Amino acid sequence: MQHLTMATALAAAHSATRSRLSLEHWVTGGAIVTLIVLIVLPLVSLLWGSIAAEEGPTFEYFQRAVSSRLYATALINSLVLGAWTGLFSVLIGVPLAWAVARTNLPFKGFVRFTASLSYLSPPFLTAIAFVNLFSPNAGLINAFVRDVLGAPWLIFNIFSMTGLVLVTVLHTFPYVYLLASSALQSVDASYEESAQILGAGKLRTALSITGPLVAPAILSGALLAFVNAIALFGSQAIIGLPGRIFTLPTRIYALFDYPPQYGLASALSLIFVAITVAALYLQRAYLAKRSYVTMGGKGVRPQLVDLGAGRWILFGFCALVFIVAILLPYAALIAVSLSKSWGLAFWKNLTLANYHFVLFDYDVTQRAIANSLILAVAAATIAALLGAMIGWIDLRTKIPGRRLLDYISLIPLGLPGIVMAVALIQFWLRMPVALYGTLGILLLAYTARYIPLGVRAANSALRQVDPSLEESARILGASWGMTMREITLPLIRPGLFAGWILVFVPAIQELSASILLFSSDSITLAVAVYNLYETGYVEPVSALAIVNMAIIGAAIWIANRLSGTKRDTQRMEVTA
Amino acid sequence: MAGIRIDNLSKHYGAQTEMAAVADLTLDIKDNQFVTLLGPSGCGKTTTLRLIAGYLTPDAGTIRVGDRLVSAPDKVVPPEERGMGMVFQNYAVWPHKTVFENVAFGLRVRGMAKDDTRERVAKVLELVNLTGFESRYPNELSGGQQQRVALARSLVVEPEILLLDEPLSNLDAKLRERMRWELKALQRRTGITFVYVTHDQSEALALSDQIAVIHRGRLQQFGTPREVYARPANRVVADFMGLVNLLPGTVVAADSVAAGPLTLRLSLPRDLRVGDSVDVAIRPESITLAAAGGVPARVEEQSYLGNLSEYHLALADGTRLRVQTSAADEFPIGTTVALSVDAAQCNVFAHAVEQDAKPSPQDR
Repeated sequence: MQHLTMATALAAAHSATRSRLSLEHWVTGGAIVTLIVLIVLPLVSLLWGSIAAEEGPTFEYFQRAVSSRLYATALINSLVLGAWTGLFSVLIGVPLAWAVARTNLPFKGFVRFTASLSYLSPPFLTAIAFVNLFSPNAGLINAFVRDVLGAPWLIFNIFSMTGLVLVTVLHTFPYVYLLASSALQSVDASYEESAQILGAGKLRTALSITGPLVAPAILSGALLAFVNAIALFGSQAIIGLPGRIFTLPTRIYALFDYPPQYGLASALSLIFVAITVAALYLQRAYLAKRSYVTMGGKGVRPQLVDLGAGRWILFGFCALVFIVAILLPYAALIAVSLSKSWGLAFWKNLTLANYHFVLFDYDVTQRAIANSLILAVAAATIAALLGAMIGWIDLRTKIPGRRLLDYISLIPLGLPGIVMAVALIQFWLRMPVALYGTLGILLLAYTARYIPLGVRAANSALRQVDPSLEESARILGASWGMTMREITLPLIRPGLFAGWILVFVPAIQELSASILLFSSDSITLAVAVYNLYETGYVEPVSALAIVNMAIIGAAIWIANRLSGTKRDTQRMEVTA
Repeated sequence: MAGIRIDNLSKHYGAQTEMAAVADLTLDIKDNQFVTLLGPSGCGKTTTLRLIAGYLTPDAGTIRVGDRLVSAPDKVVPPEERGMGMVFQNYAVWPHKTVFENVAFGLRVRGMAKDDTRERVAKVLELVNLTGFESRYPNELSGGQQQRVALARSLVVEPEILLLDEPLSNLDAKLRERMRWELKALQRRTGITFVYVTHDQSEALALSDQIAVIHRGRLQQFGTPREVYARPANRVVADFMGLVNLLPGTVVAADSVAAGPLTLRLSLPRDLRVGDSVDVAIRPESITLAAAGGVPARVEEQSYLGNLSEYHLALADGTRLRVQTSAADEFPIGTTVALSVDAAQCNVFAHAVEQDAKPSPQDR
């Protein structure tokens, strides 16, 4: 009799949910459609826009893009910038990685802190800070060198390729640092000890064993640095334009001055995409070679080198990186923001008036802060949930084309921000919906740009969850929706949260796509800073920049606190 | 109640041209039985179990529970509507839920009142000896305890059928041995039909009412443990069910085969004729050793196993035999012993050219 009641209860539970049974199909279908609208359609529009003319398909735009000196120079400048940045990222990132992973360097936490803060600092704010220090006439350090030391030949002009590389490297060396240090950490000491027992000296071991094992990771980091460096609109506009160094992003941006030249912008964008995709392809190929490094698996025990007194020399190098990447720009921004008029005697007239101005008198700020917060929260949430669905479809279903879905979600990695903006404009201008100039199109841009981060975070989290954990809920009678709500989502929550933060941090400082998509109503924080900078008032700009940094810092802090309280779920590792 | 009737079930992974995971499987599992699907890894036993659970859709054939059709190529009742229970190899105890929440989950799905739920959970936890562990998280439990949480979670909803996928394989030997007895007692007490998957033949023998031996996706034999062990349907089953000496031989008379220097008198399968090549299966324990009075053999290796002794012997023609005898006897390496075979315990199979044996008809 008891059996009968239980069976009846199950039947009752299912007749109640019968209408929601297709929830699974709605959600998976919705995720697929969203991905297509977000990425595929704009990209198709971009392709079409690059060849569409009134009289039919044409290659005219591509011809102009490659033959005109204007654009060829921009292309070359971008490549030169990327190459130098990649090289210097290696020169800075590898020693730091080696120092942290393989030596008895003191204060390793300080080095890690330097690398993460350099990565988190918005490069366009670093650029503004360096302009305040090194612009040829008004830059504080240049003024000091010229007027106090009387050594004008020591003046460093930031508005140059050197300056641009310097500012960009400070943001990109962490890519090399992170990949190289994790590779170095995953080389078990036994590999090196085997070489040493066979008679190889330290240098020979480093060259023939350690070097080849970590080289793919370093190269891959350098390529990532390259890809990110050439995509940064902010620093290239702030430093490149006064120095008359045009790059691809700034050229594409200029094409939207009235009258906008969509065809040429699209063609230039596609060339840009081709470079990015080629570099990313190489990067993945190198990274794939890395797999044998991790073969040691768990319990890897890296060999630490005792540097003796030499460790203080290495520490000096790390400290120098900290001074240039963190101390100088932050100190400069704070100093400028507090001074009445920036110059050698700035400390005589300190004031909070700039903050008062940007926060209360300048009516754009509050709107921009609100917009950026809304956009970053919404984009991060959508990207995390969409990522979870795409990861789930890829890993848990047999839907044909699910791998394709996964690849589509990675496409935005190859699209620089400004290209994403061009594609969205091309697509939505053709649509009957008036999305251009609203927060909506910015939200689409942010979500599309950062969806790969959400998908990857969700994917790796889902891989940790054995399918049997979901299957056992199903056989106990739980519907798809209930299984998701009760089992899958709670189990991958830490991963989703990590993905959320990964999207939130770049979204709240997004400039490359926003610069083409904003309107006065939908202005964002980064655009507000950039626009104010263009007007030339350095003191309020710095105040706004500091406000921007403070908001980013507070957001990351809150996010970390939130993830801290959720740690009890992380503690319960998935035993399956 | 709930027997399971599987008819001509087939399942391919990937292209249809590839080898089938399950091929043309027919199986009649009676209600209230402990049935084991036994076979080496990759033989299709887990696929069969997942087909029964409804996680997979068959390419051909049907599965019925009682008289309800639950699986066919065009129609599969989803797992959540089958009212079965399943215990996974890795237990699949949810790490973010306490023992109580794990066990109560199925009752919540069924919308049971809180008080009834508490009572029911307490009862089933008592059944699996986990009273007092309600508020623990899985990471605070041992493997055996997690295993019992998984069992309790499946049993609490009183399924008519419980599917178990190698549930003991992650436990250490001692615990595994104890859980065998517990599982068997549990099945008898609850009267639930157990379908149990394992690759461990001794586990299958110890637990089952019926064993289905599966090899390369095909059913080789379905019978009681005694039948499957003592009267294997073919060479594959004989080989899989414990140690066996498989010797090439010839039929020399209507009731007798010769294998090297051995001649055995026993009843032969009807389709064999004098002169046919055969395989003779002799279990190591069907051979007895003495100092004299049998076929002479040389002791090549000897190994003391505590409760018995194992020997590797070489016959005059070079044939090698494994023998297990009482540990009381001791024959040192290098000595010559006399062996005799209990022919009634031996089996003879027509010599198969390919090893891909099909079940012989008389054993069905």
